[in-house]
Amino acid sequence: MKAIYTLFICLFLVAFTNAQERFLTKNGMISFFSKSPIENIKAENNQVLSIVDISKGQMAIAILMKSFMFEKALMQEHFNENYVESDKYPKATFKGNILDFDKITGSETTITIKGNLTIHGVTKEITIEALTKKTAAHIEMAGDFFINLADFDVKIPSIVKNNISEKIKVSFRFQHKPYKK
Amino acid sequence: MRNKNVKKLIGILFIVVLSSMIIGYKIYNKPHVNVAENSADIIQTANMLFIDFSTDETKANSTYLDKIIAVKGTIANIAEEGEKRVVTLQTSDDFGSVICYLTEEDSKNSAQIQEGQTLVLKGICTGFLMDVILVKCVITDLK
Repeated sequence: MKAIYTLFICLFLVAFTNAQERFLTKNGMISFFSKSPIENIKAENNQVLSIVDISKGQMAIAILMKSFMFEKALMQEHFNENYVESDKYPKATFKGNILDFDKITGSETTITIKGNLTIHGVTKEITIEALTKKTAAHIEMAGDFFINLADFDVKIPSIVKNNISEKIKVSFRFQHKPYKK
Repeated sequence: MRNKNVKKLIGILFIVVLSSMIIGYKIYNKPHVNVAENSADIIQTANMLFIDFSTDETKANSTYLDKIIAVKGTIANIAEEGEKRVVTLQTSDDFGSVICYLTEEDSKNSAQIQEGQTLVLKGICTGFLMDVILVKCVITDLK
């Protein structure tokens, strides 16, 4: 937790001196979708913090687990209390590098991002692809990828095993704006 | 005689099964917390809320998370995110603020709010990133 906080403080301080290379959004969107024969479960989080440094190709994302909004209150309760234990692990984070950040230009291209994703206190290295485009006003990034619940030690009780998919589809959409204060 | 008993038993069983199905369905479809209809658990200023989170996040998490918080502050910025309005309340810190995501209903009914105005908002606290975040906010008092 301290490390994340320190990371953000560092990012800010650097952002101060070199504003135009750092882009940030405080209301990025991350949603996930679980498809199963019994029910489909969807949740959306519109308060995701994402910071991109395009000169070094670094990226840092922080997500509040309690900000995921479900259609049904009961699902949201189970998600927070039983599955991700959001009182114990209130945040998910991602810290990584954009491998081909020189490809971020005015036209839409696919980039590869490699880094560490931490959910439920478990860190795993992932590689994801994102569609990106840079305009005068912002850097857009969007894409989706799959995660395995077992990789992050999220246990699903056998009674609801058929209701929740083992593989969860995660979608994201960020519109980073130049960081200035 | 026996036939009657069996019928009775089937009848009782039917009622038990039906009522447990109804209860199950009700629990499954339990509604989300309605912020507008519930009173606030904690009343706080935007500034103090931010200070609490920035000094000891773990402690603040246990105090504020999932609670309905009435927060008083001055509007630093109003933004539109799709259907929803996002009201940022200023604090004494240059970097941090309290970000309040209004409900769809209040987003429509809040045309009168302006930057610089002081108001009281009620919402559910989901945590702290760079700022304290409140969701499902409704405006309770305009000054």
